[in-house]
Amino acid sequence: MKWRTVLLSALIGCLALFVWQMATMGTELPAPWAVLKVSREFLSDPFYDAGPNDKGIGILVAYSMTRLAAGFACASVCAVLLGVLLGRQPVLFAALNPYIQILRAISPIAWMPLLLYSVKDSGLTAFMVVFMASLWPTLANTAFGVANIKKDYLNVAAILQMSPAKTLLSVILPAAGPTIVAGLKISMGSAWVAIIPAEALLGSLGLGYFIWNEWNNLSLTSVVFAILVIGMVGVGIDFLFSKLSKRLAYTD
Amino acid sequence: MSSEKGRLPSCFADPFDSGSQLSSCCCGQIHSHDEPGAEPGATASAPGPTDSEGLLVRLVESSVTRALFGGKELPRRAFMRAMGAGAALGLVASVFPLEAAKALAMEKIGPLEKKNVKVGFIPITCGTPIIMAHPLGFYAKYGITEPEIRKASGWAMIRDWAASGQTDYTHMLAPMPIAMSLGLGSSRIPFVVPAVENINGQAITLRLDHKGVKEARDMKGFRFAVPFDYSMHNLLLRYFLAEGGVNPDTDVQIRVLPPPEMVANLKAGNLDGYLSPDPFNQRAVYEKVGFIFKLTKDLWPGHPCCTFAVSEKVAREAPNTFSAIVRAIIDATIFSANPANRKEIAKAIAPRNYLNQPVEVLEQVLTGVFPDGLGNTLSVPERIDFDPFPWNSMAVWILTQLKRWGYLKEEIDYRKVAEQVFLAGDCAAVMREMGETPPEDSYSSHVIMGKEFNPAEAEAYLRSFPINRIS
Amino acid sequence: MQTPLLEVDNVSRSFPVPGKKERISIFSNIRLKINKGEFVTVVGHSGCGKSTLLNIIAGIDKADTGAVLLKNREVNSPGLDRMVVFQNFALMPWLTVYQNVRLAVRAAYPDWDKGKIDERTRAYVEMVNLKGAEDKLPAALSGGMRQRCGLARAFSVQPPIMLLDEPFAQIDALTRGVIQDELIRMWEESGVTIFMVTHDVDEAIFLSDRILLMTPGPDARLAETVEIDIPRPRKRREIIEHPAYYAYRNSIIKFLSGGSAPVPPGRSPLTP
Repeated sequence: MKWRTVLLSALIGCLALFVWQMATMGTELPAPWAVLKVSREFLSDPFYDAGPNDKGIGILVAYSMTRLAAGFACASVCAVLLGVLLGRQPVLFAALNPYIQILRAISPIAWMPLLLYSVKDSGLTAFMVVFMASLWPTLANTAFGVANIKKDYLNVAAILQMSPAKTLLSVILPAAGPTIVAGLKISMGSAWVAIIPAEALLGSLGLGYFIWNEWNNLSLTSVVFAILVIGMVGVGIDFLFSKLSKRLAYTD
Repeated sequence: MSSEKGRLPSCFADPFDSGSQLSSCCCGQIHSHDEPGAEPGATASAPGPTDSEGLLVRLVESSVTRALFGGKELPRRAFMRAMGAGAALGLVASVFPLEAAKALAMEKIGPLEKKNVKVGFIPITCGTPIIMAHPLGFYAKYGITEPEIRKASGWAMIRDWAASGQTDYTHMLAPMPIAMSLGLGSSRIPFVVPAVENINGQAITLRLDHKGVKEARDMKGFRFAVPFDYSMHNLLLRYFLAEGGVNPDTDVQIRVLPPPEMVANLKAGNLDGYLSPDPFNQRAVYEKVGFIFKLTKDLWPGHPCCTFAVSEKVAREAPNTFSAIVRAIIDATIFSANPANRKEIAKAIAPRNYLNQPVEVLEQVLTGVFPDGLGNTLSVPERIDFDPFPWNSMAVWILTQLKRWGYLKEEIDYRKVAEQVFLAGDCAAVMREMGETPPEDSYSSHVIMGKEFNPAEAEAYLRSFPINRIS
Repeated sequence: MQTPLLEVDNVSRSFPVPGKKERISIFSNIRLKINKGEFVTVVGHSGCGKSTLLNIIAGIDKADTGAVLLKNREVNSPGLDRMVVFQNFALMPWLTVYQNVRLAVRAAYPDWDKGKIDERTRAYVEMVNLKGAEDKLPAALSGGMRQRCGLARAFSVQPPIMLLDEPFAQIDALTRGVIQDELIRMWEESGVTIFMVTHDVDEAIFLSDRILLMTPGPDARLAETVEIDIPRPRKRREIIEHPAYYAYRNSIIKFLSGGSAPVPPGRSPLTP
């Protein structure tokens, strides 16, 4: 059963490659073979550093990931704390929820000009774009998860006379954990989607920079390579979150 | 050298002394009247009767004050009397990087305030001196051992970098520092241009199926692209169209696009043509999607394009660094001007760290031997050239065109703005020091598409265009 | 007369009805006293408010009027001195058996070192016969095993009084007996005082020293007290043969089914 899935998956992949090959034949669009060649070139020396505007793909991925991690971590801490507060204060949650829904609907990239103009630093702006992208899903999910924690768990915490901090760490966060992680996963997805255009628009080193630098040379093959890298990194991040959510899942 | 023994030429006279005469001049660049003065250049390096450095400082101060008062004696004297020399100098220094200008005029550069200067550039051949100064070691030659040469993808980005202090020195289109100093399209930040980068070097590129187009009239209904509103590209394209009777605001569309997207859009058929910096004109030929319709050098031979700009604040706060980097850039620009060096430069700026373009395309641009996309190989050595001298008269022309097309609405003193932003005198001093012969006067008349522009008659020139957006 | 360990003094509780001004009384003027070491059970119909009463004693719910006194001091909030065993166990599902018990031990003895906490935890896990299942999550356990864990958690803190809220209602009949035996053994060994609510009459007679009968709500009252004068240790199989057993049972059931409460044989009712 399992290897049949694998086989089917491989078959679909081959078919996609075949369609890609056929679609690009006779055009100037990059064919799979050309992308493979370029990929080998980029991946053969992923960590070279030839100046401030030319670094290996590994270093660029690291730049993007660092930016992503910093913005995401800060946003997640804020979102979880605020989410817990809202989850425990139903009236406040109900009052703020419409605003959260509006803010959530705004593309993080839309914030960029405003952020750039106010903070006047492109690195900080990229960080804030990631922050904005990561904030809302986690906030909404945390508030929802905390609001729906079984009353019994909180009663037990009260009977055990746990301090608010201890209650947060030992009861509220683990109880709402799966919902929070689901929110974090959505947040990470939206942050990863936002960071590429943010880097391209701000000129900050990273995968987004790689794309416009190659686009500047009209090198579509390299752009396709970057697209593949972005996809793979995204899958990797998703995989980590699936692991995390498995660890935190529980059945009543 | 006409200095008589025992008497200082007037340029050494203290300009903050309300009794001194400034009218006869020896520095030659910034004054308005054209009386042939003493041999320029010699004065700056010849030791005067007193301490030469002190004299030099006074020379610079005098040029600056003269620049501020437009060479008019009476208001300057009245001003000095009213203010007292010291206070006046302070006041002048507050609107002009006087310390920076002084430092610039010193032959020996003082200790640099910072060695890791951040320089922003756009990956186009116009920025050649700024870019190649890095791989070819011009920054290091003047003590800037750790420059960070940062690539920006567009003019808005580089403007924001410069405005927010993320870069110290910036590659800008010639109208940009003028626009920023006036607060057009951004918050008002005084910028100065100690050196122009390239002259010529742009072209009107049309899609291949427009081979039959012969003149502006044939372009009605076209969709054009330019890299930025405040660019020579925009102003020259508008000028060209309007001279041919085509109103650029109503008869065609002009959009702002990053140059790589111009090529892609030309290919996709969304654009009929563009006036853009190279290598993107040559790139359209290389990609077999367009042809070079007209080089901008054929519209206005020797027109400025890109400049090396810095905010007045950065220049004032680190005058020695300013002095060093301006020398590096002027040196690099002079080096770039030599056709013999062009192939080496093409190779140096082609890598991914700089332009990220095929060497072949860059060579075609820089050497001026290129296919035009219509099957001809042309040889136009001056297709792009490099000349650091920031003509005040060109700044005035830019101002007239910004007014003509409605970007600039307020009344301004053309010469004052031109002289505050384009530091012709400072550039000339450094050029002379490097053995060049800069123009005597920073004002000259220019001929653009056969029509003469006299900077002294800017307002009349502006009113002479039938097609305009002057409200 | 000895001072009661726990005293419920004139406690009333009502709840609002949507759209109406007046509130509906769940119960009013409840008074009861429990002495140290006693096993006292409140029996009543489902929904009569006995769990609400337990929650008020636990501090989880608040009374409208009246007070709960533990050792003569008023208590208003939940605490380690009134451990609760819940009908639906209320174990943390993300913690193993061991971790659930340890959570309580750690909370009760914050200044203990790791070794001492571990020792106490293991002792109580063993006491409820969960050795071997320490590292299982509650979801992997049967209802009986989960409640053992709940009991271990409550006992491990060694509170003066434990509040049992229908602790056996969700456990299958066969296991129930076994755990009841274990509960009695631990109660006797520890000398803890137990207050239980249940609707199971047999369970109440088997376990309790004293049974308080609660009338159906709304406005329920504690109507009668039945002292269960059957000597301990009681054996499940033998107790039904005790002469007084059916008399107790019948009178309680009769009361609960709406009739008056006859005086159990040989005893007079104690007015609360």
